[in-house]
Amino acid sequence: MYCEVNEKERTGVINPIFTCQPCGAQYASIGIKECIGIVHGGQGCVMFVRLLFSQHFKESFEIASSSVHEDGAIFGALDRVEQAVDVLLMRYPNVKVIPIISTCSTEVIGDDIDGVVIKLNETLLPEKYPGREVHLIPIHTPSFVGSMVSGYDLAVKDFVSYFAKKGESNNKINLITGWVNPGDVTALKHLLSEMDVDANVLFEIEAFDSPLMPSGNHVSHGDTTVEDLIDTANAIGTIALNRYEGGKTAEYLQKEFDIPMIIGPTPIGIRNTDTFLKNLSEMTGKPIPESLVRERGIALDAITDVTHMFLADKKVAIYGNPDLVIGLAQFCLDMEMKPVLLLLGDDNPNYKDDPRIQEFEKNLDYKMEIITNADLWELENRIKNDGLEVDLILGHSKGRFTAMDNNIPMVRVGFPVYDRAGMYRYPVVGYAGAMWLAETIANTWFVDMEYKKNRETILNVW
Amino acid sequence: MPYHLFKCSESIPEREKHSVIKGPGEDITSALPLGYLNTIPGSLSERGCAYCGAKHVIGTPMKDVIHMSHGPIGCTYDTWQTKRYISDNDNFQLKYTFATDMKEQNIVFGAEKMLKKNILEAFKAFPTMKRMTIYQTCASALIGDDIGAIADEIMEEMPDVDIFVCNSPGFGGPSQSGGHHKINIAWMNQKVGTVEPEITSDYVINYVGEYNIQGDQEVMQDFFKRMGIQILSTFTGNGSYDDLRGMHRAQLNVLECARSAEYICNELRVRYGIPRLDIDGFGFEPLSSSLRKVAMFFGIEDRAEAIITEETARWKPELDWYKARLTHKKVCLWPGGSKLWHWANVLHEEMGIDIVSVYTKFGHQQDMEKGISRCEEGALAIDDPNELENMEAMETLEPDIILTGKRPGEVAKKVRVPYLNAHAYHNGPWKGYEGWVRFARDIYNGIYSPIHKLSLLDISKDEIPTDVGFETQRMLSDVNLSDEVKNSTILREYTGEYDCIKGLRDKIYPEYLTKKVSEAV
Repeated sequence: MYCEVNEKERTGVINPIFTCQPCGAQYASIGIKECIGIVHGGQGCVMFVRLLFSQHFKESFEIASSSVHEDGAIFGALDRVEQAVDVLLMRYPNVKVIPIISTCSTEVIGDDIDGVVIKLNETLLPEKYPGREVHLIPIHTPSFVGSMVSGYDLAVKDFVSYFAKKGESNNKINLITGWVNPGDVTALKHLLSEMDVDANVLFEIEAFDSPLMPSGNHVSHGDTTVEDLIDTANAIGTIALNRYEGGKTAEYLQKEFDIPMIIGPTPIGIRNTDTFLKNLSEMTGKPIPESLVRERGIALDAITDVTHMFLADKKVAIYGNPDLVIGLAQFCLDMEMKPVLLLLGDDNPNYKDDPRIQEFEKNLDYKMEIITNADLWELENRIKNDGLEVDLILGHSKGRFTAMDNNIPMVRVGFPVYDRAGMYRYPVVGYAGAMWLAETIANTWFVDMEYKKNRETILNVW
Repeated sequence: MPYHLFKCSESIPEREKHSVIKGPGEDITSALPLGYLNTIPGSLSERGCAYCGAKHVIGTPMKDVIHMSHGPIGCTYDTWQTKRYISDNDNFQLKYTFATDMKEQNIVFGAEKMLKKNILEAFKAFPTMKRMTIYQTCASALIGDDIGAIADEIMEEMPDVDIFVCNSPGFGGPSQSGGHHKINIAWMNQKVGTVEPEITSDYVINYVGEYNIQGDQEVMQDFFKRMGIQILSTFTGNGSYDDLRGMHRAQLNVLECARSAEYICNELRVRYGIPRLDIDGFGFEPLSSSLRKVAMFFGIEDRAEAIITEETARWKPELDWYKARLTHKKVCLWPGGSKLWHWANVLHEEMGIDIVSVYTKFGHQQDMEKGISRCEEGALAIDDPNELENMEAMETLEPDIILTGKRPGEVAKKVRVPYLNAHAYHNGPWKGYEGWVRFARDIYNGIYSPIHKLSLLDISKDEIPTDVGFETQRMLSDVNLSDEVKNSTILREYTGEYDCIKGLRDKIYPEYLTKKVSEAV
């Protein structure tokens, strides 16, 4: 067997790949319109996550804190939640949805956020805000469980299970995108539109890339509405593109409302996009149109230009969100590259049962190592001290020094990317994403060739 | 000086006493905003936590140290690569961060054993690193792990390593400020006096409350070295762990950021009798008088004067070029803790800028006191600001630029107010004479951006000018300038390098003989 899946041997983390669960819940929350989450914990749990989002998107998003101080940590801090809900409702008249997102501190002290929601629903809301539509949703995301990825998965499911309500069939599909960028949503919606498929996209975050308008004061937020969330129960099917970021929700909708579901594949690369379109077609009965055959052809044409000449046999290390990493690895293989190291940054026990990973184990014909519960030291240590050679790194900005210090070209993908401009605007999914990835990888390699004077002359006649 | 209640905060009237408007002829005796009180939950305050105040602000700028947080990964991840404290040892403290990665079973059964394993692993991964700081987080505080005991155990087993423990969980206090205090005192109690430093000069200082943002510390260090002053330690930017253990041997504590680091100075005064001298590296006048004060303490005034004369001659014409173009521009000076009073008056005096508002996220009343007394009449002062109040303030005050943090800066961008990063700077360093010119240059480039001007145009309503193919900053800034200023042969734009720090790192300094040596000769 050429592919090995190993768990990181060290106990601790040196240079983490992920942050903790509450961040994932916060990322889901900003995808919803008229929603401001309250993170129940210390103020840093919000302040830094808001900073992280603003580093990545160069935008500011609204998330509140219950500002737990010392007394709350000792005596319980549910009064802070009550006050936070009231203050938020008073000052933000349009807010309808308020997830109460727990953290390590408030889970350890055992604050009953479910109980406080019941209390607020029985007292504050009817007494002070009669007639106002307000949804308080407890979301348990202790930081000592899982990672930002599981936090996202869990929060999406909590939102959907709170709202989903059986009504008339809407003839739409639920498309659960997973943790993606605005550019990905644009690309996915384009494919849906070409397929003439009506979809409820969770979450509708294209507007995270928001404009600077003459009217001023444009706050970035998602566009998924309460109605959209309610309507998830009435779809003809659910496609969750990412197993670990939305898979739970697809399963929930199937179990609760008998909505057929397909989980995956993450439509990264030509092959996965083909499968996605086939799934769409089977679920809706709509044929794949000529326009997409052509679009696929343009992507193939572009990718062909760079694969066997430049990308073939290049060794790649990939880290980040698991579905992204696996999807990228699959596409790299199709482009004749050799992903040699995949780093999955949390201890999710299900990775070993992932059919895509099992396929790597079964069919690969060169050595690939997959590390679970990984950190970025797993990459750097192998390069610096264990003689691992890689030609390219695919990952987010937190690994930038590993690439720089070891003179390895790096393409920024995933979250967060803060050291390159506008990357959230470009898709990695669909044919457009495949083309962008191939060309960006190639261009990054070209710059590296020129910078290192490494056969740079071959580009003269290309 | 009336308190100011924002419209958006009418529903939380307790906010009224957190804002004041400085009326004509008024000083701070008539009203002072409340400060450093518990945050109102749900207000979208901009405050951080006491963990970040300790670890991120003060601990991690120390350069030759493994910085480990005992808790789940989030605290570590979130405070990693979100600041610009560089160092002259290839930025080890920026590149590497360590989390013990506390999981559910650790919460239930305790995490001391895994902490110990973590420490051993980290030293093994970086065999040349012999110093470590460990920061408590909310989770490890609540389960009651005794980090100090584990650190002692390790130090006993590994005599060549030294570990500092900081118990400052995120919930400890209304803001990051609680953490500043805790780490100051903890360092004092655990580490000061445990190393005897080598004294190489007659004039020995600790440089305190300086975090080497984009090289500030290295700029100031250059001045002290040129004066023949030995910097025993810097607390903490570009600072070395072992140097900071020898703080007790300095003759003087030179204090920059009083908000975050006055505590250790006060302790050093009480315990070791070392006097504290507050200085200011921002702005020509404050910096010059700071250098004079330090020199006067040691009786080496001539050395300071030489630097002041040289630097002023080199950089003043460039500062004045910007001053002529920034006069009466309105700024909201919205930093974190102490820069409101470091910058308020000197921005006005030396760049001609009017301060229309000051705020402080984690400052105390004494910071407000200084800030308000130094800003212009009519200025709005806000304690513990929040998102809606900031928006309201920007709409009413219509500033030309705001100096604030990264994320609030994105809010400002949307209402088309240019922003500069007050915490991490745009193109710093901003300390020192050259640094201050770089700051002026950054403000100028922010305000007179042609793109900024285009963002004010509504193409659906306004007349679209079609006779202009481009504009430069200077075309915008010089419209109403007199010919005398415009054509001045003295004034000039900034002429320094993109990176003004690199050159300082291998600079050779004049040798001053110590009294002992010169007497022997």
